[in-house]
Amino acid sequence: MTVVGGDAGGLSASPPPNSVSRLVGSGRADDASRSPGRSGLFRGAARVAATLPLLALAGTITILTVKALPSIRVNGLHFLTGSAWKPGSTYGATVRTNGVEHPLGASYGIWPLIVGTLQTSAIAVVLAVPISIGAAFALTERMPTWLSRPLSLAVEILAGIPSVILGLWGVLTLGPFLAQHVYPLVADHVPDVPVLRYFRGPTGHGEGLATSGLVLTLMIVPIITATTRDLFRQVPTLPKEGATALGMTDAETARRVTVPWVRTGIVGATVLGLGRALGETIAVAMISGAALNSVSANIYGTMGTIAAAIVTQLDSAYTDGTGFAISALAEAALVLAVITVGVNLIARLVISRSGRLTAPVGRSG
Amino acid sequence: MTTRSAVVRLTGEAKQWRERNQVENEYGAEPGRSVEHAAPPEVTLANLEDPLLETMDPESGRPKHVIECRGLSLSFGQSRILSEVSVKFQRGTITALIGPTGSGKSTFLRTLNRMNDKVRDFHHEGAVHLNGDDIWSSAQNLLSLRRRVGMLFQRPNPFPMSIKDNVVAGVKAHRIAKGKQLDVVAEQRLIEVGLWEAVRDRLDDSPFRLSGGQQQLLCLARALATGPEVLLLDEPTSALDPVSTEFVEALLRGLAPALSMVVVTHNLGQARRISHNTMFLYGGRLVEHGPTASLFEHPFDPQTERYVSGRMG
Repeated sequence: MTVVGGDAGGLSASPPPNSVSRLVGSGRADDASRSPGRSGLFRGAARVAATLPLLALAGTITILTVKALPSIRVNGLHFLTGSAWKPGSTYGATVRTNGVEHPLGASYGIWPLIVGTLQTSAIAVVLAVPISIGAAFALTERMPTWLSRPLSLAVEILAGIPSVILGLWGVLTLGPFLAQHVYPLVADHVPDVPVLRYFRGPTGHGEGLATSGLVLTLMIVPIITATTRDLFRQVPTLPKEGATALGMTDAETARRVTVPWVRTGIVGATVLGLGRALGETIAVAMISGAALNSVSANIYGTMGTIAAAIVTQLDSAYTDGTGFAISALAEAALVLAVITVGVNLIARLVISRSGRLTAPVGRSG
Repeated sequence: MTTRSAVVRLTGEAKQWRERNQVENEYGAEPGRSVEHAAPPEVTLANLEDPLLETMDPESGRPKHVIECRGLSLSFGQSRILSEVSVKFQRGTITALIGPTGSGKSTFLRTLNRMNDKVRDFHHEGAVHLNGDDIWSSAQNLLSLRRRVGMLFQRPNPFPMSIKDNVVAGVKAHRIAKGKQLDVVAEQRLIEVGLWEAVRDRLDDSPFRLSGGQQQLLCLARALATGPEVLLLDEPTSALDPVSTEFVEALLRGLAPALSMVVVTHNLGQARRISHNTMFLYGGRLVEHGPTASLFEHPFDPQTERYVSGRMG
């Protein structure tokens, strides 16, 4: 009887020819193939994989900064606080400011775009979070499986709809509808008091802040809902039963036990959605009305966001032979990146504060 | 039957019961919400004919038995879990519910606070009375039933909120107390379960850093805080170490005269140590029910004998 295959480890002592020790022998051969060298290789690969995202982020920010330097030199802080988007004369002579060559009269300030970006994202998050938590709760706790399964699928499909489709729908259908039937109603009935005053005034044609915010809401609801739904599924039964046994209603159980149990995860899901809203480009470019130079006077007015401005201005920026307009777009992109990273960090801070009383999912019950 | 004056005379036990309910009132209870259960059923000529009256305790004016089940059958869909169980739980005692897995103990226990109502295809026949009130009657509010019948689970299940908020979660939900009164309730209940010294300096901390035994005590404090008439315990120490188990058992024994308890347990030693009466369920039937000592020492039924002697799983 010979030893067959399996133990191709090249052992010096070949196993005795009987079936039992053959098994033992192949076991030893497996051990031999698990050399420390291999696990070192694995560790190395894991390290590279783990640092890759960090390198990508650092690389992007570095390149953006380098590209943005001319704009930073010329526009200075005015880039953040000013509200003029002026490419200058691309036909006339160029001038030099702080050693940077740029078209005469070129000046860039993205304050309205920063405000627009934050406004649309804020609208989207404020509306989407409660809707998503409610939807996730309904999907996991309230509906029979035959209903929740197709709806769950629909949520995931909605999350994958290309934003250009939603943008087109927003500008062709939703915007005009809202401008005709909803916005005037709201504008006429809201009292003229601080804060709410922002909902009064001319309602436009449906392209602007409100419509952009609503379409963004629609885009991030599926993301937050899908994540929150998965979180709710992980909440153990026992604490929920405990709340029920204590005489809490289902709503009280949800508010005091189920949602707090996964609070950290919900904040994470919200950040995910917020990231999408901050960076959403094409849909907002279609719906916002592309006003680059002014902050909207009320919630219905036209406006712009950083991302939308970058995509709509790219073409004309190429016509700037000095490359100054491209540099300005790079700086705008840098600002957007900083805002996104900053929002992430703030959210993480919130998590570390509020997560104190949160049970880690999967523990205790 | 007795005269009305005899009905309102207070025995020692009834006094304790009264005092417990008065303590609740000092928290500032809404009269309508918390005192309703405390008032003994009024005995008038009109309800003299009520068959329930026969089971009245003339000393306290309440039914003698805190829970009474008559012909209780439970089923999920086609499978029958419990058949025709009629049993009375004596006030102020601990009743152990023993029986092999699948005998219907937990289902029975969870029926007493109507936790099974939400389960699909759950059907029940027969009646359960809590201090004379039909638990399934339309007049019985489900939420206040669960305030009257507390529950402790197999494993500690603290809520994701501070230790203090955990203790008063039920109190808040039922609006029994609010504001500063909550601190009083929390302290009192934590003292009652012997946890106060351990947590007094970290009332605002997470309960998840407490040990398993401490977490279970916290859950007990939470269940006691709403002032239940009955406490249901579903294998309350099965996840605890022996020292914590001993502590919890001593605590439950101490709660006994003032509170009635029903304990599901797989641990026969525990049943012997803490319970006054024991019910043996087997295959969905109540095989035997009697004082713990005699049930273990001189069981009537051969099945009980086999189970308590360890010859049946």
